[in-house]
Amino acid sequence: MRKRYGDNLWDLLRILAAGAWSILVGLYITGINLIRPGVCERYPRRDHRPDYQPRPGYRGDFALLSDPERPGGLRCIACLQCQNICPDQCIHITPEGKGKDRHPVQFRIDTGLCQFCWLCVEVCPVAAITMTPDYETATDQPQKLIRDLDTLRERGRNIPEPQRVEPVGCVADGGA
Amino acid sequence: MTWDPTCVTEELVVNMGPQHPSTHGVLRLILRLDGERVLEVRPDIGFLHSSLEKIAERLDYRQYLPYTDRYDYLCAMANELAYVRAVESLLGVEPTPRCQWIRVMMAEMNRIASHLVYYGALGMDTGATTVFLYCFRERERILQLFEDASGQRLLYHYFRIGGLRNDLPPGFCEGLRSFLDEFPRRVAEYDALLTRNRIFRSRTEGVGYLSPEAALSYGVTGPTLRGSGVSYDLRRAAPYYVYPELEFDVPTRPEGDVMARHLVRQEEMLQSVHLLHQCLDRLPPGEINVKVPRKLKPDPGEIYVRIESPRGELGVYLISDGSEKPYRLHWRAPSFHNLQAYPEMCQGAYVADLVAILGSLDIILGDVDR
Ligand code: SF4
Ligand code: SF4
Repeated sequence: MRKRYGDNLWDLLRILAAGAWSILVGLYITGINLIRPGVCERYPRRDHRPDYQPRPGYRGDFALLSDPERPGGLRCIACLQCQNICPDQCIHITPEGKGKDRHPVQFRIDTGLCQFCWLCVEVCPVAAITMTPDYETATDQPQKLIRDLDTLRERGRNIPEPQRVEPVGCVADGGA
Repeated sequence: MTWDPTCVTEELVVNMGPQHPSTHGVLRLILRLDGERVLEVRPDIGFLHSSLEKIAERLDYRQYLPYTDRYDYLCAMANELAYVRAVESLLGVEPTPRCQWIRVMMAEMNRIASHLVYYGALGMDTGATTVFLYCFRERERILQLFEDASGQRLLYHYFRIGGLRNDLPPGFCEGLRSFLDEFPRRVAEYDALLTRNRIFRSRTEGVGYLSPEAALSYGVTGPTLRGSGVSYDLRRAAPYYVYPELEFDVPTRPEGDVMARHLVRQEEMLQSVHLLHQCLDRLPPGEINVKVPRKLKPDPGEIYVRIESPRGELGVYLISDGSEKPYRLHWRAPSFHNLQAYPEMCQGAYVADLVAILGSLDIILGDVDR
């Protein structure tokens, strides 16, 4: 049986004093934290980081990059590699044309199934598909989670370069 | 007032969970009570079963990698590390030195992040809510670094077979260093606020005793085992990657109670800081990826690879039949084995102690059920 209270009055007083000291220490630490700058965000307002954007390379909503010289105006050559690697089978592409003119006429991504793993972006041979730092994709209807060709093309219009993560070296501070 | 063991009152069977807030997920505990005293605990698991081992059999080696993040979601990097190491050993691929250092760094950062959640959650379980918020403030800085490097905050999918998704982004090392400089002071704060608190101490000292023999016989690993006085850490016992070159202590405590496990984890966070400083100092330049074939077809064979995750020995048992998909994949999940010892620890405890003991085990139900 574990002893929770002291044997005699002296012990009891000592425990009480230790308890009171713990409370004072706790109050001191919470007091210090009261005057430290806050870190909490009120979500839609984002008080502390009003223009925070995730870095390029963040795995958010999808976009298809455009290339005006190609049929369909997209870089995509409908090679179906992204459809094949997707672990959740949430990409569905209908290709059209032969050889150089091959392009998708239908391109569906069901972001409700997607696990945002970046494999489709990585596998694409022409860097046609990418994920933007846009993370505010919540919606009230499951159908709205399905991105079709027009949505993807529209989203990709403003992205000039493929948003690949640049392999920038970061070596030991003492080194290079 | 003393408890008279001959006084027998009527027994009561109570369900605790599956939606009890302190069960860290969905765990149902079937309790047999005599008043406030626990006679028997039976954990009922399986509510978070997600068939992750079976999924591996229908996906190829590369496609399965994002799934490994998803069962022990607090230390996704450790899971990826275990799986990637298993597949690479089957393929006979050796990652580049820089890749190994970065992997070790990520695993140690994830250890700190995971222990911070544990720390805050144990505080919550014993009634101290403040420390939880402070822990999450510090964890947020690590998650921000992870987000910069891997593109996501929780389910990183940063390691690849044969390398990494990308090199460290600019500013990563500086951000990590400023975090590391500040973090030990914060740990000292938590220590004063929670660990030295008189109430917390009487809630944890002498509660949930686990003897070293019992711990070993249940297959308990990780900080839970080291809290029982057994100095066993796979980073020392079966070192992998660059751990032999690094200098660190394996904290152990002989007491075997909740407080001992708590102190081991607290000390481990500081050891990880020490490790990360060394990693930052010695991080070599160079390539991060080695070339692997586009279609991964390991030779038929089997392998068991284990690493030290924040919760203990995390093992991957992988059988290849020479095709593109694993023939069988099994996870040796540390949470599952640690939970086995739970009824043993709860012998003669009070109901209120159950949550403290469970918190000190630091189980993740996604890891238990897979
Ligand atoms: S991110 Fe992953 S899950 Fe989502 S569409 Fe691409 S491959 Fe499929
Ligand atoms: S991998 Fe790239 S080019 Fe091929 S179908 Fe997908 S988006 Fe188009």
